[in-house]
Amino acid sequence: MNKGVFRFALLVAGATFFLIIAGALVTSHDAGLATADWPLTDGHFLPKVTIFGITTSGVNMVGNLFWEHGHRMIATTVGFLTILLVIFLFAREKRRWVRRLGVAALIGVVLQGLLGGLTVKLMLPLAVSSAHATLAQLFFCTTVALAVFTSRSWQQQRSTIEEPTGVSLRYLCATAAAVILVQLVIGATLRHSATWDKPLPTPLLLTHIAGAVIVTAMLGTAAVRVLRRYKGERFLTRPATIALGLLALQLVLGVGAYLARSASPNDPQPLKPMVAITVAHVACGALVFATTFVLTLRCFKVLRPRESVVSSSEFVVQSSG
Amino acid sequence: MFKQMKVWLVLTVVLSLLAVAASCSKAPTNETADTNAGSTAGETYQSKGDEGTVSGVIAFLGTAPAPKKIDASADAVCGQRNPNLSTEDTIVADGKLANVFVYVKDGTTADGKKITGITFPVPTEAAALDQNGCQYKPHVMGLMANQKIRITNSDPTQHNVHPTPKVNPEWNQTQANGAPPIEKTFSRAEVLIPVKCNQHPWMKAYVGVLKHPLFAVSGADGTFTIAKVPPGKYTIAAWHEKGGAAGTEKTMEVTVPANGAGKADFSFGDAATTSTTPGLKMMPAIEFPMLGRH
Repeated sequence: MNKGVFRFALLVAGATFFLIIAGALVTSHDAGLATADWPLTDGHFLPKVTIFGITTSGVNMVGNLFWEHGHRMIATTVGFLTILLVIFLFAREKRRWVRRLGVAALIGVVLQGLLGGLTVKLMLPLAVSSAHATLAQLFFCTTVALAVFTSRSWQQQRSTIEEPTGVSLRYLCATAAAVILVQLVIGATLRHSATWDKPLPTPLLLTHIAGAVIVTAMLGTAAVRVLRRYKGERFLTRPATIALGLLALQLVLGVGAYLARSASPNDPQPLKPMVAITVAHVACGALVFATTFVLTLRCFKVLRPRESVVSSSEFVVQSSG
Repeated sequence: MFKQMKVWLVLTVVLSLLAVAASCSKAPTNETADTNAGSTAGETYQSKGDEGTVSGVIAFLGTAPAPKKIDASADAVCGQRNPNLSTEDTIVADGKLANVFVYVKDGTTADGKKITGITFPVPTEAAALDQNGCQYKPHVMGLMANQKIRITNSDPTQHNVHPTPKVNPEWNQTQANGAPPIEKTFSRAEVLIPVKCNQHPWMKAYVGVLKHPLFAVSGADGTFTIAKVPPGKYTIAAWHEKGGAAGTEKTMEVTVPANGAGKADFSFGDAATTSTTPGLKMMPAIEFPMLGRH
């Protein structure tokens, strides 16, 4: 186990979360087309700065260019961090499948950059913008998974726990994660269906609300069962508790985002409360997904069906490459 | 139990994808936009020198909403150039409404020709749209299909000009301060094309594109005059941007006698009772009923 790799993976995951917030800020401000240029912004990458009275040439970070070009700069940073993480993994990580996951993350971030460029060049078609927002969530999840797999808590030997007969928590959590992903796709499509000055399309809005009910039922059931069955097992109860807390926060933010967004077509411009609450809703959604994914991974790590109880160290040995 | 879970999962995914697909489906055709777009090149208009006018006043009935102050702190230049930057969607003075686009929507000339079937000469001079004080000037304008629109930037900051038409091609072009004018044309009739600036999200303009030159925009005193209207009987439409995503359009039948004047007074606002027809459909959006009208 290498602490440095874990810490760097954690840094990449944190930077990716920050990138998701930056992307959400672009959407909420309707800043995606603040420049028609890509990958540079009006021929520049670095922002215009004034040092000792001398102003450099660069991007004039005013108005919505601040959000759009800021997003591009953070995305570029995340791209470079991902390259470094892959190099780090190939240098220090022994498990081939973890290295491969790193390569998958790199492919993901490159694709994400291309999707971002494509959506600007095609003037924000709904399908491409929604795909860009969805891939962002999947990439974030991949970076979180890399942090989980390189962590000490994952790699230390653990006894497997026999699952009682009935509903398997492993598959319940996996289903909850899948349902959340679908909900994120719907949410991304909803957000990109109408800019701040237009009402949201009702059918999609109702679908998103129905999705919230399903997610609450699925994740609530999974997390509560984990907390009831495995009280002393912090490896499982911690992500379950966090997921439940985030879910409650997300529901409150969802109601707030709906109210703020319903009022925004009457506003003269995207107002700060609407921007703040819709961005928080996106960010919290990403955290709910990531936490549920971690819970799922941990359930698969330590829970086993009744008939095949084996040592988790055996699992690690079998899986490493 | 696994099977049940799988069934639910598949059902959820399928239903969600169906809903997404439904919401992504093509928006209904813009009826207003097609009014003049569908006409093929017909008989070229020959003036007989007996043209008249259609004029009128746009009244605003009810309490006019006060213009909303715009926070231009994101670009200091905007605040310096225009310290009283505020919304322009409902400009009312003495009960009269400005920025209403009035045009001949349909009708027949006195000699029995459909107005939409007549080919009018396209003006050689460009229609002007300026970005001044971080606002589009004028806020509402009209031009003929294939007539040049000349867009200038008088501000010491950068803008991007982004029309979002439904039947014409969409484009988005950055215009730095001091950059040469942008000259473009819209080849198809479309009432009206919203124009925005993605750098300054409050900046909006509406451009009406018609196959004929029979249009006008109400001034600060609410008056308008459509000049050089061939004698005949016409449907006159008045469009205002407020009233949901599509704006509001009202129509009235007007007869223009030879060398005479037709009268078309419209009224907008909450207390207005004139019959209303749906305006342009800019978005496939439906207002959510729980909070009422936005």
